[in-house]
Parts: sequence; C-alpha cells; structure tokens
Amino acid sequence: MTRSAEVVIVGGGVNGLACAYNLAKRGMKDIVVLEKGYLGTGATGRCGAGIRQLWGMEENIILAREAVKIFENLDAELGFNTFFRQGGYLMLIFDEHEYETVTKTIPLQNRLGVPTVLMSPEEIRDFIPGLSTDGVLAGAFCQTDGTAYPYAVLWGYGEAARRLGVDIRVMTTVTSVASRVGGGFEIVTTDGTYHAPRLINVAGARTRDIGAMLGIDIPTEPYCHEIAVTESLKAFLKPMIISPKKGFYFSQSLRGEIIGGVGDENKESSYATASSPDFLFRFAKVLRDTFPKLGKARIIRQWAGLYDMSPDSRPILGTVDGLDGYYHACGFSGHGFMLSPIVARLLTELITSGTTSIPIDNLSLARFKSKTLTRDPYVVG
Amino acid sequence: MSKTILCHCEDVEVEELYSALKQGYGDIETLKRYTGIGTGKCQGKCCFIQTLRLLDALKSEGENGRPAFAGDVTSIHVPTLRPPVLPLRIDDIVDCDEEGT
Repeated sequence: MTRSAEVVIVGGGVNGLACAYNLAKRGMKDIVVLEKGYLGTGATGRCGAGIRQLWGMEENIILAREAVKIFENLDAELGFNTFFRQGGYLMLIFDEHEYETVTKTIPLQNRLGVPTVLMSPEEIRDFIPGLSTDGVLAGAFCQTDGTAYPYAVLWGYGEAARRLGVDIRVMTTVTSVASRVGGGFEIVTTDGTYHAPRLINVAGARTRDIGAMLGIDIPTEPYCHEIAVTESLKAFLKPMIISPKKGFYFSQSLRGEIIGGVGDENKESSYATASSPDFLFRFAKVLRDTFPKLGKARIIRQWAGLYDMSPDSRPILGTVDGLDGYYHACGFSGHGFMLSPIVARLLTELITSGTTSIPIDNLSLARFKSKTLTRDPYVVG
Repeated sequence: MSKTILCHCEDVEVEELYSALKQGYGDIETLKRYTGIGTGKCQGKCCFIQTLRLLDALKSEGENGRPAFAGDVTSIHVPTLRPPVLPLRIDDIVDCDEEGT
C-alpha cells in the first residue's frame, strides 16, 4: 500500500521527534516518523545525558546556549517532566596547553552570555568535597549547564507530537529511498511505501546509509562509545565532571547513580556496540582516581552506543544542492542529544520559511569540499 | 487498595506497569526505561520474569479494567541483559586489573 505524507522523518530518536513536534506546531500536517526499533533505540537512549555550553568555537557555544534556553522551558512546553536540571559542568584542566586554551574560551563564552568562571584547585576542593585535584591546574565551571533524562525528552517530544497528529511508526525499517520523477521521494519500508515532497534524514549513525540511497556522500563514521553506571548513592555531586584531555565525563543522576564514560583513542570505526571489560577497567580507574571514596561503590550496568563522527566533529545540518525537499541533521559526534531542541527548531525554520534564525551555512555538507576544517577543542568521550 | 511491588530495587508497583501500558509504552525495552523496572541493584533478576508473566496474561485482552497489552511489541522477551553479571566494587575492578598487568 502506498501512503502519502507531507514530510517523512527517518529516525525516531530525539532529533526526529523534536523535528516532528516543531513542524506540527508550525501547522504542518501529515507528518510521519519512521523508526526501525523502539523510540530511542539508537544514540538518544544510550547517551550520557549531558547538556553543556562549555565549547571552544563561537558557533558551538551559540547553538548550545540556544538549546539550553529551550531546555529551561521544555517541561512546560511539552507537558512532560524531562528531569532537566542545571547542576553545572565542571571541566578539569590538566596541562598548560589546556590552561592556555581555557583562558581564551572563557572570555569568549562570557561575551556570548555563557556564565563560565575559572576555578583554582582549592576552590574546586571547597566546591566539591572529596574530588581529587591531583594534577589539576584549574577548572572551568558553568552553572547553567546540566543534564536531562534523554528518554524523557524523547517521550515528551513524542507525546506532544502525537497530540498534534504526527504519525509515529516504530518497528518499521526503511529499505529504500529514491527521488521521484517530478519531485519528492518514495520511501519503501517493511510496512508499506510512502510518497512525500519532503524527507528529513535524522537516522543517527545510519544517516549516511539513507543518504547513500539518494546518492549523497555523507562522510560520517560510527564509533562505539561505552558508558557505565553505579548503584544509587546519597546525593553528593551536582555538576557533570568532564576532562577533554583524559576523555572522561560523569555525573550523578537524580536516582543517585554515578553515570559516565571514558573514550578510547585507539578505537576503530565500527557499527558494533559491545560492552567491554577494557572499558570497565578504565572507567573504574577514572572514578577512583577522581573520587577516591567511590572505590567502595559498585558498578551495576554498562552499555554501548554509537557516536556519529563527522570529519571535524561538528554537526552536519541543512539541505543538499540539487535535491529539493531533502534535509538532514547528523554527524553530531557525541552531542546530538544536547543540541536537539535547537537543531529541530532550525530545521523547522529552514523547511517552513527557507531561512534560519541562526546561520547554519558553516554546518553544511558542502564544507567538506574545503581542505581546512576547524575542530572544537572540547569534543569529549 | 493494597499495592503489589513489581520491582523491589526501584520500588515500582504493578499498577505503574499498567499505567505505562495505558499511556502507550508497550514494548518491554521501553517499559524498563519508563518505569525503571530491572534497573536497580538486582538488574532484573527478581522482576523481569514477573513482568513477562503479567504481560503474557494481558496479551490478548484486558482483564478487570486493566489495559490490553496491545503496545508496539512484536514479541515478549527479556530486555537486553548487560554486564557485569553481579555488581562489582570499583576498588575490586581496579585492583584486579592492576594485578593482571
């Protein structure tokens, strides 16, 4: 059976559902979301839940700042408790190079309205008793950063989208996508075929595969990242603790669990998402080194998910030349959840009015034709 | 009305499972994440099998005003089991690794 829709969104993660909600709110009808598993099967449901503005590049700081503004009112907007809270982010600085960078990025963040402050090791110890500052030269702290429960954000967007008439179809795999003669797209799934003038490709690490069906070369690569969680502990840690140099991050959830991860520079690109003992050893050491008292706590669960890495670790957002009605958002490189509210809003502006309130030209797929790519110094995990 | 606890670690009642089903959270992986069942210290050793028994009883039609189990599921199965098998103390993990290398 062939059905028609105004928009087909491929991917039932937070970006897909947030797009569906924003489009429906703008009055668009006949929106279909296709998800091959349950909602949030991919990176949304596996991510570290952090929301931070502690970035090094102006455009990343602005996107994150605008995302935080939306998160601050999201519960009321969606009528759903997303467990968003602004416990802050504390970035630990371990060497001179990092220190030099942070003395430049803090004034930049402040100029853009992000209230980051520099902390001495002594101030850090007073702020968070029990945190080891061995080897720590300083800290950058931003109070308005925080965390939310990724599934709750996803469900909140999903329920609000459904109330506005969006058709969300889970356990539905897209098997082929093609341009139609005369415009629009044909999307074949395991549960019927769709014809639509607009296609939004937000399939996480599989976005490149959907793009390839239309002849688009999206240069992203999947990398497995692991996370572990401890048993619930008495509340003692408000901010997310993060280290760009050592590649770790962790925070305490509202249930009291310590949840976080540590990256592995030697890992090769793969779609495999297995939990490993190696990660367990490395992350346990991070926790005990940073909080010696945590040695007595127990790790109860670990899992893995994919970062959709772009060549410069920045998102790929927008349209593709010569393919009217096609839009994508991918390559989030580990930061798709925290940016989703603003990404969905910008895509919606682009689709409904042709322009965006924040320039996204620098995030186009076309930028990779240039040889000089700029990376943000604060990609972690 | 008396309460029946489904997940002891996370203090989830049977009625909360039914409530989640009523709201459309119909597959086992989502029920785990929505209600919290199986995410505590025992990691589902006590509650998963009880959850599956309840879902099976509700599969075809609702009973006593409870929701029919007509969610998004294609099958009733145990959620993905994740390591470690038993909770491990961080001290033990680190010391074991250092002795091994």
